[in-house]
Amino acid sequence: MGEFEVVGKKVERVDVRAKVTGGALYAADVQMAGMLYGKIVRCYDYAHAKVTGLDLTEAAKCKGVIRVLGPDDVTRKEYNASVLDMMVSTDMRGVLGDIDDQNIFTDHVKHYGDAIAAIIATSEEAAERAAEKVRVSYEELPVYLTAEASKQPDALQFRPEKPGNLAFQLPEMAFPDNCYAWGDVDKSFEDADIIVEDTFYVPKQKQCQMEPGSYIALYDDQGRLNCWTSTQMPKLVQKKLANLFELPMTRVKINQTVIGGGFGARLGMVLEPETCALAMAVPGRPVKLLSTREEDWVTSPSRHPGKYWMRMGFKKDGTPVACDARFENYKGAYYVDASGTAFTTGAWLGGMYKFDSLRYHGESYYTNQSICGAFRGYGNPQTNFVMEQLIDRGCAELGVDPIEWRKKWHKTVGDDGWCMGVPYNSCALDECLDRAAEAIGWAEKREKYKHQTGTVRRGIGVAVMNHTSGAMPMLLEHTVCDVLLHQDATATLNLACSDMGQGSHTTLRQVAAETLGFPYEDIHIATGNSDAAGFDIGAHASRTLYVGGGAVKQACEDARRQLFERAALELEESVDNLYMEDKIIHVKGASNKSISVETITDQGVNNFMNPETGERIGQPGQIQGYASFFPPHNAPPFGTTIAEVEVDTETGEVRVLELVNAHDVGKAIHPGVVEGQLDGGAQQGLGMVLTEETYYDDKGICQNNSFTDYKMFGPSDMPKMTNILVENADPTGPFGAKGVGEAGLVPPVGATANAIFNAIGIQILEAPITPEKVLRAIEEKGDII
Amino acid sequence: MKKHAITLTVNGEEHDLVVPSNRTLLDALRDDLGYTDTKYGCGTGECGACTVLVDGTTSLNGCLTLAATMDGRSITTAAGLARDGNLHPVQESFIRHDAVQCGFCTPGMVLKTISLLAENPTPSEAEIRHGLEGNICRCTGYSKIVEAVQDAGSRMQGTGE
Repeated sequence: MGEFEVVGKKVERVDVRAKVTGGALYAADVQMAGMLYGKIVRCYDYAHAKVTGLDLTEAAKCKGVIRVLGPDDVTRKEYNASVLDMMVSTDMRGVLGDIDDQNIFTDHVKHYGDAIAAIIATSEEAAERAAEKVRVSYEELPVYLTAEASKQPDALQFRPEKPGNLAFQLPEMAFPDNCYAWGDVDKSFEDADIIVEDTFYVPKQKQCQMEPGSYIALYDDQGRLNCWTSTQMPKLVQKKLANLFELPMTRVKINQTVIGGGFGARLGMVLEPETCALAMAVPGRPVKLLSTREEDWVTSPSRHPGKYWMRMGFKKDGTPVACDARFENYKGAYYVDASGTAFTTGAWLGGMYKFDSLRYHGESYYTNQSICGAFRGYGNPQTNFVMEQLIDRGCAELGVDPIEWRKKWHKTVGDDGWCMGVPYNSCALDECLDRAAEAIGWAEKREKYKHQTGTVRRGIGVAVMNHTSGAMPMLLEHTVCDVLLHQDATATLNLACSDMGQGSHTTLRQVAAETLGFPYEDIHIATGNSDAAGFDIGAHASRTLYVGGGAVKQACEDARRQLFERAALELEESVDNLYMEDKIIHVKGASNKSISVETITDQGVNNFMNPETGERIGQPGQIQGYASFFPPHNAPPFGTTIAEVEVDTETGEVRVLELVNAHDVGKAIHPGVVEGQLDGGAQQGLGMVLTEETYYDDKGICQNNSFTDYKMFGPSDMPKMTNILVENADPTGPFGAKGVGEAGLVPPVGATANAIFNAIGIQILEAPITPEKVLRAIEEKGDII
Repeated sequence: MKKHAITLTVNGEEHDLVVPSNRTLLDALRDDLGYTDTKYGCGTGECGACTVLVDGTTSLNGCLTLAATMDGRSITTAAGLARDGNLHPVQESFIRHDAVQCGFCTPGMVLKTISLLAENPTPSEAEIRHGLEGNICRCTGYSKIVEAVQDAGSRMQGTGE
């Protein structure tokens, strides 16, 4: 394009050299003098039980043990590990009905792996040995694994303030009749010629980030609580810990370590409260807490599983008249962010198609599964699995091409987005669909696969999605950034935006370089220190480049303005008459009048005064740009996936042959980073639709909390994959960019399900679509196509 | 528990240490010797984050190997791959192809690639994918890793790496 110097280029990622050499320090890699080790004693015998006895005496006698801690040895203050309550105004918290219902250690076990007590010892081995000596007795309670079970009138109540075990439903005050709705759905259905309806199930998928939860905490000699963690949300976790331990924010410091993958698993607190509680029991000594993989699985949040019912009505000409839906999710043992996903699952639904009317109920029910929280897509993959299959069923009944129907009826610029009242301001979904269809040979394959015989059938399917760049206006999107210009005309960005590996520190640095007009190499990005950085809402909702980038751009514009003002004084010209090239500020039309940026930045610190006369010879003061940035919009990205599959109707096995992903990304600040997000998202989306689910037995004992028993797509399972980046600049994004972190996961879910439908003429209603389910569905129908 | 006095050469440097029988090579490297570039991802040999090279280019999982069985052996970790200030061609290829995201699998993935290319210097795409099956990456969908391995393989042809 040539319009940008740094933006749009595949520059070298800021973190990559440290990562290929293994020099990058993750929390588990940090060693300190006098380090102690914690081990949490967890209940792996029951998913629901009262602790009737806890005997720590034998454990306390073990070699190397420093302290043993039961529920009463730490704060009993209840908390909510989610940070959603820090993202909305205080009034909104009340409206949502969010509650604090977690304890550091509990005497009421509510899920497999709930925490009972802890050991602090001089080595990990010593702590583990002592943990085995802890004696706990339990009174077993009935186990409720589903919403259907826990909502029964005779079920035990998880929380008195949440009757019926209904942790959350859309609040009446903001959502009349507890639904997200427009129009009159019941009346609209009267206009429908075709109605499609079914109840689906979406699975408890796990993020499986490669770095298991690892933490260090130190209550130091200044009475400050220091925590080393790879959280996605350093500033919110700082505030959360301050609240929990009743300390001012100045006495809580988050040292963010390199994040070994997040995908939502670190959106909020995980074991920071436990680690900090341990550290406060041994002031002056750092305490390290390392989760095993199996432990991390059941203590960090998963995707929300549940039953998802949906009904859609269409007129004969294809007009979508009504959509009615209800998602009842199996929330898990604690409230965490019961409100968030229950709402957004419907928001993505509402944001996609031009139904005359829509009604969505979202409800979260307590269950004795491990907690659910954020996972890349945040309700969108669930909606994609259900909505996109029903759209294709409707298209089949209408006899229309699924791509043509989607092009005609998807929402676009000017229509209400996922948040009613906030219309879309950019949308290139048609181009995405056209280019993806062309790339995979949609029309020919659709035609070809109509006429198949034999036991192995091929199919091709499409799905689309809308997502978001930050959660404005539902959440208070906000990033503070400052940029300091050094004497030698290099610059340091200081902010709390997280890079979970997606490359956001690289792209933020590109935005800074482009805005300042400096080379990429002249920018350093300083993050990870909650003492130094101002507020940032944290890495969520595909917002880091869009909102964090907006903050960086504004701060750099501020610094650049100051540079130009000083240059104007030095050159005795107006700012409007200046331009910068290669870090030299010139006067337009006067080639001999210029000043280098370095002269200005050096003058400001070292050379603003004649040492002999004391006379001012330059403009004093170090230039610092600052922004406390609130985005004007949520710049929703759109995207599509077309999937081609092969179904073996004798074994039920589904093989994904090819995916084409075409995404409206606004502007690819770093094309390699964007492709990486789409590639990785697809691996997780394919896993959700075909292989990934955390299972429990009927007692609530987790059956597959390990990589051995939980099947993710491996290198040989991945299909041929093509990514098409459609660059249609968003008017509000930094250099036109929109968020892309989550989008890649979403449409492979619906597209793969629809490709199976196309192959065998049957829709599989439960994800993951395992061979057993395919065979059962074929058997029930008695025929294919 | 019985203890064993062993000598491990790690990245060319010799270390004497005493390990109990149940000490894994992963723990000995990370906790006894400070080679934290070798990662714990699962502890059960499923993810490959703890991959190291033994006596040249044989890869194995540090979490499944007892340190006591490694007496006298030479171990290479990701931190020991650079020569004269230059990264290994496989490391450079991972950088060039954006094959690194969170980086937690990367040291193991790089070492596994070196082992794979030593066995088969001109692997097909399918052979690369098969060869990487024991190393899990949750970020990249493997696309760019496969590209990086292919490119590293062709560049290393004839260089003696």
